[in-house]
Amino acid sequence: MVAPSVEQLNQEILRPLARTSWRYYLTAGILGAIVIAAIAAFIYQVYAGIGVSGLNRPVFWGFYITDFVFWIGISHAGTLISAILRLTHAGWRRPVTRCAEAITVFALLIGASFPIIHLGRPYLFFWLLPYPSERGIWPNFHSPLLWDAFAITTYLTGSTIFLYLPTIPDFALVRDKARGWRKKIYHVLSLGWKGTPRQWHRLEMAMRIMAVVILPVAVSVHTIVSWDFAMPPVPMWHSTAFGPYFVAGAIFSGIAALIIAMAVLRKAFHLEQYLTPFHFDKLGKLLLLMSLVWGYFIVAERMTVWYGNESPEMAVYWSSAQGRFTHLFWFMVFCNLLVPFFILSIKHFRTITGTVIASITVVIGMWLERFLIIVPSLERKYLPYTWGSYRPTWVEITITAGTFAAMALLYMIFSKLVPIISIWELKLGMRDDGSSPQPALEPATPSRIVAEPGFAAPGK
Amino acid sequence: MKRQWGMVIDLDRCTGCEACVVACHAENNLATVGRDGAARGRTMHWMRVERYWEGEFPEVRLRFQPVLCQQCGDAPCESVCPVYATYHNPEGLNAQVYNRCIGTRYCGNACPYNARVFNFFNPVWDKPLDLQLNPDVSVRSVGIMEKCTFCIQRIKQVEIRSQESKQPIADGEIQPACVQSCPANAMVFGDLDDPKSKVSQLARSNRATRLLREVGAQPNVIYLRSVS
Amino acid sequence: MDRRSFLKISAVGSTTAALDACGKPEHHLIRFIPEEDLIPGVAVWKPGVCTQCRAGCGIRVRVMQGEAEVTRKSKPGLISMGLAKKIEGNPEHPVNHGKLCAWGQAGLQVTYNPDRIRFPLKRSGQRGSGEYQAISWDDAIAELASHLPVAGSSGSPSPVAFLTQPLRDHRGALIEKFLAALGAPPAIHFEFFEQTVLRRANELSFGHRQLPSFDLANTNYVISFGADFLGTWNSPVSQNHSYGEMRQGRTEQRGKFVQVEPHMSQTGANADEWVYAKPGTEGWLALGLAHVMISERLRPAQAAGNAGALIEGWSEGLPDYTPEKVERITGVESGRIQRLARGSAAHSPAVAVIGGAPLAHTNGFSNALAVNALNALLGSVEKPGGIFFTPRPPMPSLSTSRNSASVRTLCEGILKGSPAVETLLVFNANPVFASPPAWRVQEALAKVPFIASFGSFVDETSVLSDLILPDHSYLESWVDNIPESGTTEAVVSLASPAMLPLHHTRPMPDVLLDVAHRLGGDMARAVPWKTYAGVLQAAFEELRSHPGSVTAKTDDDFWTAVQTKGGWWSNEAKGSPAMRELNRPPSPTKIVEPAFDGAASEYPFFFLPYASQQFSDGTHANLPWMQEMPDVISTAMWGTWVEINPQTASRLRIQKGDLIEVASQHGKLQAPALLTPGIAPDAVAMPVGQGHEQYGRYASHRGANPLKILAPQTEPETGALAWAATRVKITRLGKKGELILYAGSEREWPSQFQHR
Repeated sequence: MVAPSVEQLNQEILRPLARTSWRYYLTAGILGAIVIAAIAAFIYQVYAGIGVSGLNRPVFWGFYITDFVFWIGISHAGTLISAILRLTHAGWRRPVTRCAEAITVFALLIGASFPIIHLGRPYLFFWLLPYPSERGIWPNFHSPLLWDAFAITTYLTGSTIFLYLPTIPDFALVRDKARGWRKKIYHVLSLGWKGTPRQWHRLEMAMRIMAVVILPVAVSVHTIVSWDFAMPPVPMWHSTAFGPYFVAGAIFSGIAALIIAMAVLRKAFHLEQYLTPFHFDKLGKLLLLMSLVWGYFIVAERMTVWYGNESPEMAVYWSSAQGRFTHLFWFMVFCNLLVPFFILSIKHFRTITGTVIASITVVIGMWLERFLIIVPSLERKYLPYTWGSYRPTWVEITITAGTFAAMALLYMIFSKLVPIISIWELKLGMRDDGSSPQPALEPATPSRIVAEPGFAAPGK
Repeated sequence: MKRQWGMVIDLDRCTGCEACVVACHAENNLATVGRDGAARGRTMHWMRVERYWEGEFPEVRLRFQPVLCQQCGDAPCESVCPVYATYHNPEGLNAQVYNRCIGTRYCGNACPYNARVFNFFNPVWDKPLDLQLNPDVSVRSVGIMEKCTFCIQRIKQVEIRSQESKQPIADGEIQPACVQSCPANAMVFGDLDDPKSKVSQLARSNRATRLLREVGAQPNVIYLRSVS
Repeated sequence: MDRRSFLKISAVGSTTAALDACGKPEHHLIRFIPEEDLIPGVAVWKPGVCTQCRAGCGIRVRVMQGEAEVTRKSKPGLISMGLAKKIEGNPEHPVNHGKLCAWGQAGLQVTYNPDRIRFPLKRSGQRGSGEYQAISWDDAIAELASHLPVAGSSGSPSPVAFLTQPLRDHRGALIEKFLAALGAPPAIHFEFFEQTVLRRANELSFGHRQLPSFDLANTNYVISFGADFLGTWNSPVSQNHSYGEMRQGRTEQRGKFVQVEPHMSQTGANADEWVYAKPGTEGWLALGLAHVMISERLRPAQAAGNAGALIEGWSEGLPDYTPEKVERITGVESGRIQRLARGSAAHSPAVAVIGGAPLAHTNGFSNALAVNALNALLGSVEKPGGIFFTPRPPMPSLSTSRNSASVRTLCEGILKGSPAVETLLVFNANPVFASPPAWRVQEALAKVPFIASFGSFVDETSVLSDLILPDHSYLESWVDNIPESGTTEAVVSLASPAMLPLHHTRPMPDVLLDVAHRLGGDMARAVPWKTYAGVLQAAFEELRSHPGSVTAKTDDDFWTAVQTKGGWWSNEAKGSPAMRELNRPPSPTKIVEPAFDGAASEYPFFFLPYASQQFSDGTHANLPWMQEMPDVISTAMWGTWVEINPQTASRLRIQKGDLIEVASQHGKLQAPALLTPGIAPDAVAMPVGQGHEQYGRYASHRGANPLKILAPQTEPETGALAWAATRVKITRLGKKGELILYAGSEREWPSQFQHR
């Protein structure tokens, strides 16, 4: 692989910010239409009542909470992976981190909207927040939903900072290259970055702190999401394994989402030189690992239930093993275990196409996994007389489709405003690897950066 | 005086007539959801009579089991509500504060008895059916959970009268609508903390059992097993 | 005009309107519980009488002040008035002891039903089109009066027929007086689940032409042949109450209960032992039990007491009814017959009950006699824990019995043209809905030149009427009732109106009185009262001299006291009036084979319609609470279904919810299949009550009406419809029907859920 020169790197990575093709507008238009349809569906739901969904008694949660858990899971792509890679100094992370961290922030935004979308009275969502109100009552701190509210806001704040910090030098780069009103915006966003040694030092410190802090937050977020299910006494929800099971699943789906996002970016913005088969190979291996971890959890979960042989749990067990959800269940296993295993464990298939195929099935499979955790248990909860069944309506399907479109749209917009690959980290990496001659490191403001002593060993 | 309201349901007396079901509708302003709502599993019954088949024809039997909110001593619904819309009142009842409910429906999932129902739409009463509404019970709107209250309006009425007259509440003076209607006298309501009350005497019967005891919610509805 | 002044004006206006519209029952009401005493938010309980079925339970109506949109003189307006908010049982009433069934609870929805007729209507479109125009009460009464020709001097009867629900009150007596004065034949009583066969059998067996009451509270063993006595039959609340006592009311003894029936009813579901006997063979089983008791000398013959005549000559045993022979006919194993016989004999007192389908075969009468004889053998007739007959209250004003025709003969007559029927008056009877097609009721009614209906709702029958004179609801009316059964005391219940009428309606008896006075002469003299309340007050004066639950010094005080109590009942020692000595009760030992319409080869299934727990015979199908109350066995709501045994279904490859066609020789219908283990493999069952074409928004065009495929089989002794004597075939139509089930599962923890 021929390493790109600094100028080429600047140009190629900043190209999406400068030029926009008609294809971009077309795609954005289509995605925007889907998002608007979803918003319209939500407004209709608020107006007519949550009854326009397929929810009923006893299946009080359905697509919305599935979407919620799914998107919160996806959000683990970024921050968690990027933090781990940063802390372990995995050199190949450099072109990947920004892209991953952005997924986190958007997936969280989308995921966090679902607890509001699914409310019976969404206009009162703020009652979930602790604030001194005229009602004189605090929210119930016993409720896992409240823990959710705290965990998600914390994670969202943390991830946003984590995304923002390493973007500052790149904003400065864009600022220096941009003109007119854009320059003003990037001027603000770059927070007066000049690349002084002090600034580098502080950035490095801040990123190190954030990487350490964000890890437990990320783990806790999905653990708490899993506790929404594990705390109430619902058959096959009430499980001690749910915390790690959900975290593993989250990372699993997160990596898959990241691979897909990278492949799309690579193709759309011609970043073939930066996002290479090497990266896909590495992430593919990681995906395989998580697939096996996930498989371990699902085997553990179902074996425990089967050996426990309690009627209420077995009722739920059979509904996915032999009943109504059998096909979905085995399709989920196919998506999450068989496809990744056969594609990713064979080096020959662990290509970009291979990993992307595996990632797509994993994303589908993980959405199904959440659905199959939530709905079968509620359909067959204890007293058989009260069993019910759930079927989503067009409202739920539209809103769900809308969130996928929203994710893509947010990502597209983001890629227009922010260099989607961390330019300065890439440059740094090139220097460290020695894969590029020293002068190639000359960025737009070379004198300042080269003069920076801390620059010589960031992260070391 | 501390009280623990509770109910005993004698399954040997219950005949499955469902008078309790309609009495509850009339007393508590339960909405009817119509054919479409019923088909989608959204009926608002606070009280239901479950039936379970046993055996095959001709050696076939049927078992009835009325189920309402069990007013659990350690209620799974209470701890999960983020806004305290459902809480434990001082007399051991699981109270539901309609105005505070934002409709997470988490309590409905947490309830092992599926005793909770949700207003998926605003209730509709074709005029003049609205005149049947009991002014002592608030009408619920869309997005709100509701469930059996042990007819708290009747409890409060008697309690206030007792406070005013300084007369203690007699055993059996308070009757929820289902208990009052039950033709076979299968249901008894009263103070479980009063060892002399009929309900606590029956609760000590060797036929006494509780529904889904293994869940550990400590229900205050006690079932007396059918003998045969 | 602001709202408050409108309220005032309309309140004043409407009170006056109500006063002149309703025959002034209000001054009694005002004296009783003055309207102005209502304090907002404070409830007043007014005694009442439930008319939702024929049992005659006493109720108490919770009345609270509220604002209602009412119709006065065909104009809607808002008034502040007392509104019924809840119905409970009257704790003092001897029939229901303060308890009430689901139908009684749903009574509020009769009064507040949005489909009630609000003012008198005159037909403006084609007959049956349902197009009417509002007219005033004066015009309506004049119109009715003009269609009531008095009997001719030549002795030809007046061509007026009166078709009514069975009435055990002074309205029935008033109708008879009215018709007698007109020179018209007696009123025709119609209800689908008529009890003629059992009444006739009881008359011949016990000397009482009425339904029996059972002292279940003191029984140790109940064997019931098809009687849904805990659900829809006879006096359900009373029977539920004593059933509860039988099970757990005594510390030392728990009564045992065996139910014999071809299709599991709500009552059968409570049985300790559920026995399937082939439809129509219940009499054999009863005599088979008797055979075992006699041959094993389990019962002394003299235990029968006064009923001994029923089992005369039985000491030699019943050689035709050995368990082996009975097993061949009924399908009940001989060993089981012996066990049941020994069980019932060992658990004295024991009682046998018969009702429902066993009486609705062509041999229903002999089935009834056989069970009556079994009671005699068990020694349960008029003994504690046995069978009783409710005495009649000492009210001579009630004795008006004349032998009346049936709807079938009425329609035959109309279609033949003799006797001529020029005017038909209909009160709460719906034979167009509830009759087999072969009776051609609709066709016959179409030939009647003038039909007037008093009902509160437009149903399949009243939609054919030319004039509708809507009745008050029972909560708005003076109601009295004499329970036929359900208690061992003589009872007459009484209620003044619990609330003012909502609409511009008028009670049926008051309309009859108005018409009579308009006609004048003999008519006016025959029924001299101004209002129905006057009729009742005069009738109740007769009771004051008898010892009972109410005592008072003056007639006025007595009248008030009876209203406060909710009726009058004798405080005499419990027990029915002494049984009359019967000359020759018919021998129950000759049971005829039941005949079924349709050859078994072509129509392989017994068709068993049954009274619905939700709607009875369809009367309650317009109450949303009843539509949404899950049937306790099928758990279905807002629809109808056909019950099929799972074995049969799998043989015919029918699955739950599949739409199937049920066809007899007389018609066919479509309904979804419900697979249930509580029915024999060679039978299908359907609840009666749905399938209305005309009965308001909640009932119309919902489900199917099983009565429309019934054969016109009759029981020969009484001429009653044998509604369980039709055979059908079923076909899968290859699509799904609408079956809304409340239950998610048939069984609790099906065994396959646990793998060890």
